[in-house]
Amino acid sequence: MNSIKERRRSYLQFRWKEYGVGYLFMLPWLIGFVLFVAFPIGSSLYNSFNKILITSDGFQYKWVGLENYRQMLVVNNAYPIILISYFQEMIAIIPLILVFSFFVALMLNQKFPGRGLMRAIFFLPVIFATGQVLMELFVQGAGELPFMKEYNINAFVEQFFYGGLATTIINVLSKAVIILWYSGVQILIFIAGFQTIPKSLYEAIRVDGASPWESFWKITFPGMVPFIGLNAIFTIVDLFTFPFNPVMEIVGRNMFEPSTGYGYASAMAWLYFGIILLLLGIVLGITYRATKGNGGIR
Amino acid sequence: MIRKIRKQMTLSRVVLIVFLSCIAVFMLLPIIFLFNNAFKPLNELFLFPPTIFVQHPTMRNFEQLLLHTAAGVVPFSRYLFNSLLISGITLVAVVLVSTMAGYVLSKHRFHFKRLIMALIMISLMFVPETVMIPRYLMMSGLKLTDTYFAHILPFIAAPVAVFLMKQFIDQIPDALVESAKLDGATDMTVFTRIIIPLTAPAVATVCIITFQAVFLDTETSMNYITNETMKTMAYYVTAFTSNVPGVAAVSISAAVGLLMFVPNLILFLLFQRKMIQTMLHSGVK
Repeated sequence: MNSIKERRRSYLQFRWKEYGVGYLFMLPWLIGFVLFVAFPIGSSLYNSFNKILITSDGFQYKWVGLENYRQMLVVNNAYPIILISYFQEMIAIIPLILVFSFFVALMLNQKFPGRGLMRAIFFLPVIFATGQVLMELFVQGAGELPFMKEYNINAFVEQFFYGGLATTIINVLSKAVIILWYSGVQILIFIAGFQTIPKSLYEAIRVDGASPWESFWKITFPGMVPFIGLNAIFTIVDLFTFPFNPVMEIVGRNMFEPSTGYGYASAMAWLYFGIILLLLGIVLGITYRATKGNGGIR
Repeated sequence: MIRKIRKQMTLSRVVLIVFLSCIAVFMLLPIIFLFNNAFKPLNELFLFPPTIFVQHPTMRNFEQLLLHTAAGVVPFSRYLFNSLLISGITLVAVVLVSTMAGYVLSKHRFHFKRLIMALIMISLMFVPETVMIPRYLMMSGLKLTDTYFAHILPFIAAPVAVFLMKQFIDQIPDALVESAKLDGATDMTVFTRIIIPLTAPAVATVCIITFQAVFLDTETSMNYITNETMKTMAYYVTAFTSNVPGVAAVSISAAVGLLMFVPNLILFLLFQRKMIQTMLHSGVK
């Protein structure tokens, strides 16, 4: 009787120790997170159901329920149109970024002289792909492929392809900068992913008589699926919080406009956010399916 | 020696290198542009279409910058000091806090783990503008406005760093941690002797991302700080570029663009080598 009790107690003690360490390590981050991220996000959700007036003695909240959302979708219907066209663009770009960074990572994983330098160069855009430096570059016109104008590539493309095809090609070309600059972290994640596949596996399949092409599809690709998922998530997050995002610009503009106000802007942000969440859910679902059975990322 | 190099150079390798070099040049283009832009004289800055390379380099842009900063009330060095202090403390704090959180999220069992992961994922993609006012209310409620804490604390809660750390620590085999525990290591030892050395590449990545976020951040100075001597360099240079009248603003902003970029570049070059080394030799397989 006594020994069972004792055992139980020591088990609880062990469990508590394991859990306690978990909490202890988690705590500093959690406090910061609750104060500066969770609470502000929660209160912005609450704001989206309110009409907020800025008066001389602080903010005045007036509960309006879903009125802000109705206004945005039905009355002022410019916002949904911008939202839809923006999402169309992004959905075209995301696979391009993934494919591009996958193949660059594959190439950078080969052995050749100067590999370290090459890797550094491809990771370089990470340091200016956010915020001010990028803003500076765009203001000064570096973002729009200077040589496109200089060598008149648009006219060249229009001459050789016709109609819709030409505009698509020009669009992709003008997005090429974004695709290239935004694949730094992705390339790095993929290279790190390639390192996780043991060399002996390749040797084994080669002894069994597989060609490099087969070994890519049988070993490299399945092993990389979790990393492709991780990269897809990363790319979505990265693109949708991009500083020149037209949607965010509108949200920012509406924030301090007296006719619409902060509550309305919060509602806009939450709609945007909801759609991104949906997209991420789809990506996570696909990745989970593809890695089912061997753990993978979660 | 030459023979050895020639032996390594098969045709496919040459094709590979040439192809990669082409893309690499493209990747370097914006940096080349930034450097050239800072030394362009006024007439070249306004050239349309813009050119990449400078034809007649001058130091005029930097002279303009010095001339206008000298007229300010608070000396320039004060802003520089603020920026360096803040980014230094934030870097250390973020790395420590997020590695700790990433470690337990990946290797420990405790309640609400799934909830915390979900929260991280959600907050990763939230539009920062909308939380501006609630965040301000929080800051003033905690009486943190006009202190260095206002600069540092919001970054510590960064979900990106924890997310990256968790994903990297997931790659460290559980067996390694377990065998260390069987040998009598405490959690602290596991953390300092196994987790920290093995996550070096992730630490380098987090450092680069955090540093540029902190160093280039103007929002904190704009929203939470009213005391001019507590503001950062990033805020100062942006504010003052928009205050200078006329064409001088363009030439100053070209110089400022380069100046703000250089610390980032240095940090990157510093960490890059370590990052690649650790990635190639680390036990993370």
